[in-house]
Amino acid sequence: MTTAALPRVPGDRDPRVSPLRRVTGSPALRLVGKRLLMAIPIMLGVTILTFWVLSLIPGNAAQQLLGAEASPEDVAQLEEQLGLNESGVSRYLSWLGNALHGDLGNSLVSRQPVSEILADRLPVTGELVLLAFVVSLLLAIPVALLAAHKPNGLMDRISMMISTLGLSVANYVLALLLVLVFAVTLGWLPAIGYVPLSDGLWANLKTMILPSAAIGLPLFCFYTRFLRGDLVDQLQQEEYVTTARAKGVGSWQVLLRHAFRNSSFGLITVVGLNLGALIGGTVIIEQIFALPGVGQMLLQAINTRDFVVVQAAVVIFALVAVLANLVVDLMYAVLDPRIRYGSR
Amino acid sequence: MRADRTTYATGDAYVSTGMIDSRAPAEAHRTPAAPGEPLLTVEDLRVQFTRGGRRINAVNGLSYEMVPGKLMAIIGESGSGKSVSSRALMGLLPGTATITGSIRFDGRELIGLDEKELRKLRGGDIAMVFQDPARSLNPTMKIGAQISEAVRAHADLDKKGVQARAVELLRLVRLPAPERRFHEYPHQLSGGMRQRVMIAIALAGEPRLLIADEATTALDVTTQAQIMELLVELRERLGMAVIMISHDLGLAASYAEDVVVMYAGRAVEHAPVRTLFSNVRMPYTRALLGAIPALEREPHSMLPVTPGQPPDMSALPQGCPFRPRCPNATDKCLEHPPFLEHEPDHWYACWHPAGTELDTAPEVTAAVAPATAAEAAHHSTAHDQGAAQ
Amino acid sequence: MAVADTPLQVAENPAADQDDAVPGGRRWRGQLGLWLPGGAIVLIVVACFLGPALLGLPKPVGGSVLESYLPAGSPGHLLGTDPNGNDILSRLLHGGRASLFIAATVNIVGLVVGGTLGALSGYAGGAVDTVIMRILDVLIAFPSLVLTLAVAQALGPSIRNTILALAFFSIPAVARVARSAVLRLRGQPFMAAAELCGTPAWRVLFKHLAPNIAPQLITFAMLGMGIVIIIEGALSFLGLGIPAPAPSWGNMVADGQLSLSATPMLVVWPSLALLLTVLSFNLLGENLRSRWSGR
Repeated sequence: MTTAALPRVPGDRDPRVSPLRRVTGSPALRLVGKRLLMAIPIMLGVTILTFWVLSLIPGNAAQQLLGAEASPEDVAQLEEQLGLNESGVSRYLSWLGNALHGDLGNSLVSRQPVSEILADRLPVTGELVLLAFVVSLLLAIPVALLAAHKPNGLMDRISMMISTLGLSVANYVLALLLVLVFAVTLGWLPAIGYVPLSDGLWANLKTMILPSAAIGLPLFCFYTRFLRGDLVDQLQQEEYVTTARAKGVGSWQVLLRHAFRNSSFGLITVVGLNLGALIGGTVIIEQIFALPGVGQMLLQAINTRDFVVVQAAVVIFALVAVLANLVVDLMYAVLDPRIRYGSR
Repeated sequence: MRADRTTYATGDAYVSTGMIDSRAPAEAHRTPAAPGEPLLTVEDLRVQFTRGGRRINAVNGLSYEMVPGKLMAIIGESGSGKSVSSRALMGLLPGTATITGSIRFDGRELIGLDEKELRKLRGGDIAMVFQDPARSLNPTMKIGAQISEAVRAHADLDKKGVQARAVELLRLVRLPAPERRFHEYPHQLSGGMRQRVMIAIALAGEPRLLIADEATTALDVTTQAQIMELLVELRERLGMAVIMISHDLGLAASYAEDVVVMYAGRAVEHAPVRTLFSNVRMPYTRALLGAIPALEREPHSMLPVTPGQPPDMSALPQGCPFRPRCPNATDKCLEHPPFLEHEPDHWYACWHPAGTELDTAPEVTAAVAPATAAEAAHHSTAHDQGAAQ
Repeated sequence: MAVADTPLQVAENPAADQDDAVPGGRRWRGQLGLWLPGGAIVLIVVACFLGPALLGLPKPVGGSVLESYLPAGSPGHLLGTDPNGNDILSRLLHGGRASLFIAATVNIVGLVVGGTLGALSGYAGGAVDTVIMRILDVLIAFPSLVLTLAVAQALGPSIRNTILALAFFSIPAVARVARSAVLRLRGQPFMAAAELCGTPAWRVLFKHLAPNIAPQLITFAMLGMGIVIIIEGALSFLGLGIPAPAPSWGNMVADGQLSLSATPMLVVWPSLALLLTVLSFNLLGENLRSRWSGR
């Protein structure tokens, strides 16, 4: 069955067949390989688009660095020094060449290598996003299961009301409300600032709880709604759910083993798609809580016209989005036997 | 009776006897229904759905009786309530359904059972096989896990025991290479094999009644016959009763002993299959029989057609629901005909039964002439498709 | 084998019958779910666009510092004044005006451009589809907030530039919805019939496709309104949206943040306005969506 569903793989000597394709017999791997190939033009497009958008921004780093009173000669000299006077195309090509070797350039403002800056900043944003994701999923799954167990029951109504409300709150508003309650009024947690993990887990967590809650709560609402809706659809429409009930299996087991198992595919997709959008959302939260993450770096870089840093940040964000989708495909391949065995 | 059945099972060459023997004592306390006493009595069963503010009477006062070990067919058109009524037996209808009347299984009333008792009943006393095996099996679970789940729901066995029993069930339904299939997913099996798996799942709790809800409709003709033969054989070997639900009177005639014909949510005729074919009483059943293509029929002759539409279940006509389409209809039919045992073992609900002095139609067979050529053409297409199944 | 007029091959599927089994009470509540948020939106729009004139409110800018930090309920200042002595209610309503105008314009641009692109992509298929979809893939993979930030920064903060920046965000999303809607329609007989009749492509697109995908797109736009209002707020919050001193809910929240502990109401009022507006659009969108999906 597995082999029958696959198109015949041409012989080894065929030069048109990529080595990747020759190695991979499994349809799941082929799917991932295909997605990986599709990701390349997307990444190229993103970097070109960034270069183009940035070239539209009036004023440049040389002017910004030297101040408004600098003489045109000084500006021109610095421009040449920074390589800003070359054409956009040649600048892009040399940037691309370096980037492919892992060299993202030096900041125009601080002259620090971008990779060093990222090494400082990525862990902060990473921790923020990870916390938000883990907490929102850990809360959303049980709440959605409880809600779907008795559709239109008390739990269902309450959770749907809260999640509708939560989805309508802007994260910056939520952030300020959280600060107002937990930092200003109760004084339990700091309003702003960041303590690195090396200074102790609790000290670090204290600075991360409010920001990750501001990101995680709307996510929790979204996942709860999504999962609950999908679970109820499964329970009402899928015939295998009826089969499971007809076996005499308990209602919780039907929900967990059958409905949730299949709903989890949809959830994985949504989580993957979310990650890209979410990482963009960290910009404003990092700004509010003064967290030294990639988002804050990006905002600063835009303001100082430090295009090398902006470019790097955009590439990182886009890469995360593309990788997240790739991971979704991989997880599908691992979890869904229909893909694993190539019938679909 | 339980013990008997397990002996039957052990008689099968494939069955590992040790397994079954270990189960036997636990089953011994179950008392079988006394011979001649009905296993299942459905009385005035009504199921009502509310949809968009309209009430739909899916089942409308259905009554029938069934003795243990019988193979009974419930026949009807789409929407006649045959599937809904059988799901009502197992408490599988959603919360939006209102169920009234009485369903007695082995002397116990099933309507109003709580969820816990229903769960024991489902797959335990009564099991069900559904129409489309592609949709009824969970695509993301291995065959083995799906059967094991059913085994565990009704027997307290360790992991090894569950697996052994599951493989044994797969053998029982003659699935080739059961040990290998155990570790495969539904999409790796053919339609017929999937339906065998569905039957194995249904047999896991050693049910006394198996409901096959259009169990062969989605299969091709050859597979259909194989599955039906399997059901007949399993019924004899395991001593269980089988209700086959179908729209196909021909299929029912070939395998069933008793036939219940449903129309508009009611039983309209109930008789042993021979009686039904030799002495059809209800004009609706007669119309169904007349529409079966037969070899004796003139080649290229048009099949008779029943005029009119199946009834709208939210606005049933006054009196007999078949009245608007019935050639025998008179003013008397505005009054609802009772469903009675008019002749021994032959129940029907009609004021003007066919083949009696009350019959008002001139001809006995092919009473209803095709209204138009177009309609006849439409019908012969429908028949072609039916035969292709 | 059976009665002729009945579609015997159609499987009897009680589960399908039960999907839309809705108790009578839910129907009524469904109506409420439509009219309540709809009414709230009308109310908010009327208040923002006619309110300041009808209530004779002071201007949202150019207040006197002598009147700063007046508490709520002060004479002439129902919600009090901000640090610059401007009337908060007036700023709230004027800010809403900007938010609603921007959100509506962005969604209209998104609907027209994105809808056309998506419909074209789905209808034409082949190379056209591939090119359009790959470009949209890039836009989607591009962190949207970054893009809008860069565009807003490049062009300078103004209402027009905010709209331009946000349209980048809206177009690919609408295009995807339109494309999938068109792909669903393509297989249907009436489309084949229209093509077989020799109807020109533009006519098929506008006469046959547009009316059929419009409901889905409009529903999507309702949900989009909420999203755009929130993002516009974010831009203004970061100082890249509506330029100060003109009010917007986003920059009011940002300004209020500076004195959060002393005068939290400066944050609470615009936050509430944001919440209510976005909630109304979301509820309306959800309701419309459940209507179109038939459940």
